[in-house]
Amino acid sequence: MRGRPNLYTDYQKESSIFSNNTQKSWFGILVTLSFAFCFLASDYWILLLTTSFLIAIAGWGLNIVSGLAGQINLAHGVFIGVGTYASAVVGGISTSSVIGFDLDMIFWLPLAGVAAAIVGLLIAPITVKLKGLNLALVTLALVFIGSHLFSNFKSVTGGAGLGRKVATLKLFGVNLEKGIEIGTFYLQKNQILYLFCLLTCVLAGLGFKNLVRSRAGRAYSAIRDGDIAAEALGINLFRYKASAFALSSFYGGISGALFFTVSGGVEPGTFSLLYSITFVAIVVIGGAGTVLGPLFGALFYTLFPALIQLLLHTFEIGEQSLPLNLGQLERLLFGLFIILFLIFEPRGLWGIWFRLRNYFKAWPFSY
Amino acid sequence: MIIFLQATVEGLSLAAIYSLVAIGFVLIYKAMEVLSFAQPALAVVGAGIISSLAIDRGIPFWLALFLGVILTGILGLLIERTFLRPMVGEPVFSVAVLTIGIDILLRTVLDSWIGINPKYMGDPFPSYGNFGAVKLGGVNIKYLELAALVTAILLIILLTIFFRKSKYGIAMRATSYDQEAAMAQGINVGRIFGLVWMIAGILAAFAGFFITGGFNTLSQFSFISALRALPAVVIGGLDSIPGAVVGSIIIGLTQGYVAYYQLSFESLIGFSFGNGFSVVAPYLIMFVILIFKPDGLFGTEEVERV
Repeated sequence: MRGRPNLYTDYQKESSIFSNNTQKSWFGILVTLSFAFCFLASDYWILLLTTSFLIAIAGWGLNIVSGLAGQINLAHGVFIGVGTYASAVVGGISTSSVIGFDLDMIFWLPLAGVAAAIVGLLIAPITVKLKGLNLALVTLALVFIGSHLFSNFKSVTGGAGLGRKVATLKLFGVNLEKGIEIGTFYLQKNQILYLFCLLTCVLAGLGFKNLVRSRAGRAYSAIRDGDIAAEALGINLFRYKASAFALSSFYGGISGALFFTVSGGVEPGTFSLLYSITFVAIVVIGGAGTVLGPLFGALFYTLFPALIQLLLHTFEIGEQSLPLNLGQLERLLFGLFIILFLIFEPRGLWGIWFRLRNYFKAWPFSY
Repeated sequence: MIIFLQATVEGLSLAAIYSLVAIGFVLIYKAMEVLSFAQPALAVVGAGIISSLAIDRGIPFWLALFLGVILTGILGLLIERTFLRPMVGEPVFSVAVLTIGIDILLRTVLDSWIGINPKYMGDPFPSYGNFGAVKLGGVNIKYLELAALVTAILLIILLTIFFRKSKYGIAMRATSYDQEAAMAQGINVGRIFGLVWMIAGILAAFAGFFITGGFNTLSQFSFISALRALPAVVIGGLDSIPGAVVGSIIIGLTQGYVAYYQLSFESLIGFSFGNGFSVVAPYLIMFVILIFKPDGLFGTEEVERV
């Protein structure tokens, strides 16, 4: 089928993860480049990209439940918090105020996801019954209940305003906190984390893409497009809505556990309403329901503030001369971008990318 | 008994405040089927305008209050015209997220204005105004609480008359009943949307004033109090104004009673619900009610066709 990459001769081909060689090679090039990035760039950019990978994982999680299955979830941050604290308890060091079992990463990382998924399943009886705005409101209630619990379970979370240290980086008994030496080759902690997060992010992304084309993914889309019709087609609503929440929380839990390991500690006040809404915004800005959307959104979310700082730096504008401080400026523009994207490009950054790609595909013909 | 009465009074005054925000929610929802998460932000912005006029500019309190309320109403109208007008007919989820965006926008600007020091509202009667209280048979009633109750009742009566008697009130009811039929009767539905947002803004500004008045002050966290009108709306049903009032009373009283009885109840059962439980209790109630009645106590049941 040379020269006709969009011609599919069988269903298997159409639903494959990479539908043509171009995509396959681009994927390879980008992953290789990101892999090489950690040996070339400075710590600042490495850290920035690490966080954006992790945010992308959480974004994919929310995209499963909101983008694919169409269930509004404003409480993604709570699931991330559950995962974070599960990992902190299993992998953290216990002190006089908080408990911790100081176990290996191969235990705490999956457990973080599983704990979050279990919470997602526990609330399923409520979330499955509701839809639309009522679901949004219940998840909003979850945010407040969650942050109340987080700030009051002092033995787990350290309590409001104090926080605790999270899981230690220890893989197969090797402590990674101080970096490792492989022969003559030295890897810093930041680089290890970067590589590990890159790997997790790639796996999560492929997992999401795989989910979209699977039986469950098709069931989710059917539920999103009309849940009564989906039920009439024989899709078990309870099973799929609950599993969407569980999977989404799993992604969130993994992301949270790694995210706060990168930053070192976690304070219960982090998991506020704004934190959860941030992820909704990331998915909306990136493009809800798309595979690449959350990745775009996460990159936008982390690189955008860096870009503002870079701009301020190059034009030598002092922070004092601005009417808002930097955090507020970022928040303001973030709010504005949510609004503008929803009004002008509901498909988000992915939509822009899609149109750009199609423009150049057909160039110079506009039809 | 005195403690009970005290809790009841405080709960009812909270209920009055919540009902103002809640009615705004319901009006917008009934007219446009939009859940506006920007309502709490409008409330605190209203309080901010009043404070900046009355304290920073030194305008007489009553004029500042009037101007603040009207300006917030106009702000609501502007939001509808600029941001929500292009979104008519879009999915509910998108519009809800859009209002979250508006909320972030408004509150960021407000937060940068508030800064670290909490802002005071003005005071109509310097000798015994917002900061004062009266003792009635052992129960300590703040003037501010009384004012909130009276204002809320007055506003609700006014709104009822408006919906029953006035041309625009009836047009609004027609619009919420059936948009297309209303248009066919010559009702300018677009104008109704604007009007609804304006009324919601005005109500929010009043609520914002009572939330932040007196010793409460306006801080970056004031909006959380206004946000508590959301469970009230959900309990009552998203499309019922009486429901919004009843829901507000339930939420307000719960918060009042929990604040006063939590400690003695905890020592009775030997289990602590933790600090600030009175703030979370409304959400728990909403959770429970939604399990049994997904459309709220007074909401109309949604009939869906495939």
